[in-house]
Amino acid sequence: MRTEAIDPPDLTWQRVSSKYLRLRLITWGITAAITVLVLSLPLVFVLLGWWSWPPLWLAIGVPAVVLLLELWELLLIPRQVRALGYAERDDDLLVRRGIIFQRTLVVPYGRMQYVDIAAGPFERSLGLCTLKLHTASAGTNATIPGLPADEGARLREQLSARGEARLAGL
Amino acid sequence: MTAPSPDGVKLTASDGGWLRVHPASPFVRGWVALVAIAFFVGRDFFERLLQGRAVLDDEMAQRAPWLLIIGGGILFLAVLGFVLSWYFTRYQVADGYVRVASGIFSRQQRQARLDRVQAIDVLQPLVARIFGLAELKFEVADSGESAVHLAYLKKADAQKLRATILARAAGIVPDPGMPEDTVPEAPEHHILRIRPGRLLGSLLLSEQTVGILLGAVGAVVLSSLTENLSFYVYLFPAALGLAASFWGSFNKGYNFTAAISPDGIRLRYGLLDTQAQTVPPGRVQAVRIHQAPLWRIFGWYRMHINVAGYGNAADANATSSRTLLLPVGTFDDVLSMMALVLPDPGTDNPVDVFAAGINGMDSDGGFVTSPRRVRPISPLGWRRNAYAVTTTALLLRSGRWWRSLAVVPHQRTQSMALQQGPLARRFGVLDLVLHTTPGPVSARLYQADVRVAQMLFTEQSARAREARRSQTSEQWLAQVVARPGSPISQAEAQALTAAHGQASVPDPLPETGLVPAPTSTPLQEEDQRHV
Repeated sequence: MRTEAIDPPDLTWQRVSSKYLRLRLITWGITAAITVLVLSLPLVFVLLGWWSWPPLWLAIGVPAVVLLLELWELLLIPRQVRALGYAERDDDLLVRRGIIFQRTLVVPYGRMQYVDIAAGPFERSLGLCTLKLHTASAGTNATIPGLPADEGARLREQLSARGEARLAGL
Repeated sequence: MTAPSPDGVKLTASDGGWLRVHPASPFVRGWVALVAIAFFVGRDFFERLLQGRAVLDDEMAQRAPWLLIIGGGILFLAVLGFVLSWYFTRYQVADGYVRVASGIFSRQQRQARLDRVQAIDVLQPLVARIFGLAELKFEVADSGESAVHLAYLKKADAQKLRATILARAAGIVPDPGMPEDTVPEAPEHHILRIRPGRLLGSLLLSEQTVGILLGAVGAVVLSSLTENLSFYVYLFPAALGLAASFWGSFNKGYNFTAAISPDGIRLRYGLLDTQAQTVPPGRVQAVRIHQAPLWRIFGWYRMHINVAGYGNAADANATSSRTLLLPVGTFDDVLSMMALVLPDPGTDNPVDVFAAGINGMDSDGGFVTSPRRVRPISPLGWRRNAYAVTTTALLLRSGRWWRSLAVVPHQRTQSMALQQGPLARRFGVLDLVLHTTPGPVSARLYQADVRVAQMLFTEQSARAREARRSQTSEQWLAQVVARPGSPISQAEAQALTAAHGQASVPDPLPETGLVPAPTSTPLQEEDQRHV
């Protein structure tokens, strides 16, 4: 994976599963369809003559703009998924994300309080899971989505074991 | 189980004795409710009395029994509720844990490990103070509610319990030959006190005052221009709010005293409601020194700390006073408080470095600023936004007018992040964020050069790792003493530690808890090395 400009040099990033792109596209499709449909309801009512307000241009304009925004997001999704990455080092875990607003996070194993694994229905059907690390700081938002289930389990065990070995006080 | 002894609550009980809080506490806690009920029931009676009418006329005589029954019933239920909740709330200090059991129908029991204590407070709200009672709050970690919350104990008992918990937390095992409730209060050494005059001055020179003055000027100008008096009306709520906030700050900050003792930093303050906080050594996660523009006239500063457990909860008033390390103080005060929370500054000339961090600009004191090219997006701040590293802490400086310096000890860094938005990318800079436990101090390095920030990111991970391996907060008092220009002398410190009861320094605690294993550096060696 190409290393982005802000990342520390000499790192090999692990990428998340390629199925995660499919998951993102599915969720995008559902939310986009629902949003656009709901926002198009006034247009339908106006066309049917049930409503006299809003004017036709507004009734067409609002869903159209939203649709454009959703399509723009669709263009970004593959790049966003490609930008997700994590790297295990000897003493810490790095998590990166973002294209326009980039973030690279480092969590020392000794600082981890607990590790969460979550999988929703869509994720489960694709064999994916989301891993989340918690430290004593609320600012640590270390989430790795779209991990294959076995990789997630391995990572959890690995992180717990390393955290146990290097556990430090607050 | 042992019954509470008549002269006070028996404090520690290895036989598993459970104790109750003071019997008056249900009334102290519920006094508002009792007063309200008494008011509604008694109002009619008093009105009649004042109007000179018969207290019981015919109409009233018919209603009186019902009124009495209803009022008495409500009163009885309220009192019963308080008394039952008092009866079913018990606590115990034993085997390295504090346990509190409560609940009338659904019982619940909380327990907190003593060696995980992050902070311990003794609070006295006005009513409790009148009755000589105090509330004990005991923080373990996390920003949720206090782990243990005992309201109310006799003040002396609360202080004894605090001493016991802190002594146990330090690992001092009670001497089996001694009666258990004689753990002595650790002796303390006075560091500083804020005079009420300065506190008042600091409030008058705060941003709020400036805001209300500008508002007043605006209202006067507008009303004279438009000959419309309604503008003054808007001033009243603002003035009331200002007065309330002044009073709050004054009430909280009045008589602020800081002291150091073997079991931690002691902060005391309060005019009507008094509070005494103890933060054990090495529990401060981050410090911020802050200066509002007008405070520069007198060289005043304010300091906040992050302590795990104090959090940044919704109860902003209580939180802001609990996380306040110094409400207002001079540069010298800042340095002496800094010496308490960061005993080893990790540099040869701490005064210069902190002076540069607090007041300085550009690269004095070894600070590294944002690159010159960010001037278009940060014309004022780029000379202030900077960092400096000592062997023990990372110093993050920011703000040209609202000056601020955040200090994070290396071994307290939780995690770190590099962040960059589109604008920052154009200028080749990025932000470095250090995550600490929830609190008012946020440690962020603004707009650092990409290469510099990456280097800092990598180096800081390594430094934090090293620091975690060799945490030395057990030597906390020794380090404070060893520092040149320290507020307490070595002899005094020895007296302090020696006087701390049968202070045999503990064996390493069984688990890798918050208290690190002690190293055997006596005070003298420490002193010589630094001199």
